[in-house]
Amino acid sequence: MIRNLSLAIAATAALATAASAESVKIGFSIAKTGLFAAGAPSQLNAYELWREQVNAKGGLNVAGKKMMVEFVQYDDQSNPGNAVKIYEKLITDDKVNLLLAPWGTPHHFAVAAVLEKYKFPMVGNTAASVQLREIKAGYIWFPTSTIPDKMAVEMVKLLKANGYKTAALINNVLPFAKEFKAAIVPELKKSGIELKVSEEYPPDIKDMTAMLSKVKAASPQAVIVLSYPSDSVLYAKQAKEIGISAPFQFVAIGPTIDFYSKAVGPAANGFVTMGHWSPHKAEWKRAKPFYDAYVKKFNEKPDYLDTVLSYMSCEILEQAVAKAGLDKEKIRQAISTMTFDTINGPVKFQGVQNAITPTAFLQIQGDELQIIWPKSIATSSFKAKTGW
Amino acid sequence: MDAILSGQLLAAALVTGALYALTALGLNLVYGTMRLLNVAHGDLVMIGAYVAFWAFTLLALSPLLSLLGSAALAALLGLALYYGLFRRLLDGGKAAQRLEANSLLLFFGVSVIVQNLAALQFTSTPRGFQYLDEVYHFGNISVTGNRIAAFLVAIAICLGVMAFLRFHVTGLAIKALIQRRDAAAIVGVNIERVQILTLCLGFATASVAGALVSMTEQISPFMGFPFTIAAFVVIILGGLGNITGGIAAGFLLGLLETYGVALTSSAYRSILIYGVFVLILLVRPQGLLGGRRIVR
Repeated sequence: MIRNLSLAIAATAALATAASAESVKIGFSIAKTGLFAAGAPSQLNAYELWREQVNAKGGLNVAGKKMMVEFVQYDDQSNPGNAVKIYEKLITDDKVNLLLAPWGTPHHFAVAAVLEKYKFPMVGNTAASVQLREIKAGYIWFPTSTIPDKMAVEMVKLLKANGYKTAALINNVLPFAKEFKAAIVPELKKSGIELKVSEEYPPDIKDMTAMLSKVKAASPQAVIVLSYPSDSVLYAKQAKEIGISAPFQFVAIGPTIDFYSKAVGPAANGFVTMGHWSPHKAEWKRAKPFYDAYVKKFNEKPDYLDTVLSYMSCEILEQAVAKAGLDKEKIRQAISTMTFDTINGPVKFQGVQNAITPTAFLQIQGDELQIIWPKSIATSSFKAKTGW
Repeated sequence: MDAILSGQLLAAALVTGALYALTALGLNLVYGTMRLLNVAHGDLVMIGAYVAFWAFTLLALSPLLSLLGSAALAALLGLALYYGLFRRLLDGGKAAQRLEANSLLLFFGVSVIVQNLAALQFTSTPRGFQYLDEVYHFGNISVTGNRIAAFLVAIAICLGVMAFLRFHVTGLAIKALIQRRDAAAIVGVNIERVQILTLCLGFATASVAGALVSMTEQISPFMGFPFTIAAFVVIILGGLGNITGGIAAGFLLGLLETYGVALTSSAYRSILIYGVFVLILLVRPQGLLGGRRIVR
């Protein structure tokens, strides 16, 4: 409560820019402060890189006419309720031409109703939940393929393919991790993989020694850690300390972010994580140029998950607007029916979901994240973790 | 059960406890001498962590050296806040309760400003680095070098501050101020000087804790809040203004958390900590070691 109040006091500064005649105004809210603030730069950087690239080409192609891109952005303080108000304001008061997505699943769900109300199409990005399928199709789309129930099925396939028969699971109690757990526990059981340890922990955990001692004592072949960035760092440091020797170690959220390898270093080598993109996939012609441009602009690697999804959502919007112009209904038609060429390969929506990009896993191999599953898009093969 | 009896948990509990003790030490000093409720205390931990991070990343400087820089920066901030905000508040001769309430609001504002300045300056992207992260084995216990270093430095500073309070004349003056503010003034303690020193010392120790934490955790502009909470739990457990009690309570909380979680589940961590906290408030509101003698 106190914290929320503090953020409310702190973060009222809205960074709106005045629009000039030949520009297209694109609005979004972003979690600059609060609980999700650490996640937001991955998304905002993608938006800024895209704007810079589009404007450098002379502007956004709006059905044949070039218009410079201007952003109208507000801090939602990580509060989905604020995001709702901001999107209403963007649509009715700022009268933006287009919208980009806020950060995170709860925010996407919260603004979906606003989009529906004003019949304003928006391509989502950083949201992943089985519940997104329950959102009415029409004005919001989700390019991600990291949906927990699909990931659970694919992960069990990956474990079986490598002959692993025992597992331990530790999970954060935040929603995405709980959803993932609810999906994977029955899948493991069905496949005959024995779950030797299953423990939950709170988001503010500072020490995992007790939990990891139990994992070590059970010596499973696979350790599945359903974590968020800060506990992903904690896991790597303390699993190394305690000497967990499982050849398969999955760490959910964090390893795709550039800071992770800096914080954890070689200890993270061999970690499997969620993601479906790699700059090394030669068939995805736009992937490597995006990677190079990002590294040049920000002097760090993009987040292979959130930055990529955010950039994809911009590409999808760009291609839809090139065909449909700024008419909302035409844009909606275009997004619902077109096949888009993105840094993650082709994307086409069925209902709210991306029907092409497969659910996949990445592995940290040396300095690089490689796609190791499924074989259809793999850039490398899974290698057992051999030590710290 | 083997895990419970192994030294591994004890080592983890001691490291956690030492960091809790060090973090709470500064809060206790500032509250004890001035009755200022510093809810921005955790943000000093954050500042210390960022100093260590940048010193390591840009200058390749060991956090064990740059913690001096962390301490100095926090002490300067303390000095600036004293002259800018708290001097008049403390001079006003207001009742302790008024002072506590006003300082709570002021520090709340400071916390918001510091967090958002850090977010503006460094972005809210989490950061981290690796230092002393090789694992050392002692029998069946394995501990990373940075946790050993954090433990040793935290203990050394806690003991150092205790010795300073017991043997140095200025330390004795701080204790006098904690015990009887008016009486201290009558016997010739320079109240203002002692207050400035205590505020700087309190800020500096929190910042050092941040430099130590930066070796073992990721850092971000909003990392401070849990440290503020932990520090308040510790000083209430140990008795407000009771320095020795606070240090003991830091270790107690570390043990309680680590073993409590091992015996139950990590999911119960908060329930355990706040459960004991509420119990102490109900049964011994003066703190576990709080009694007639406020300072030992």
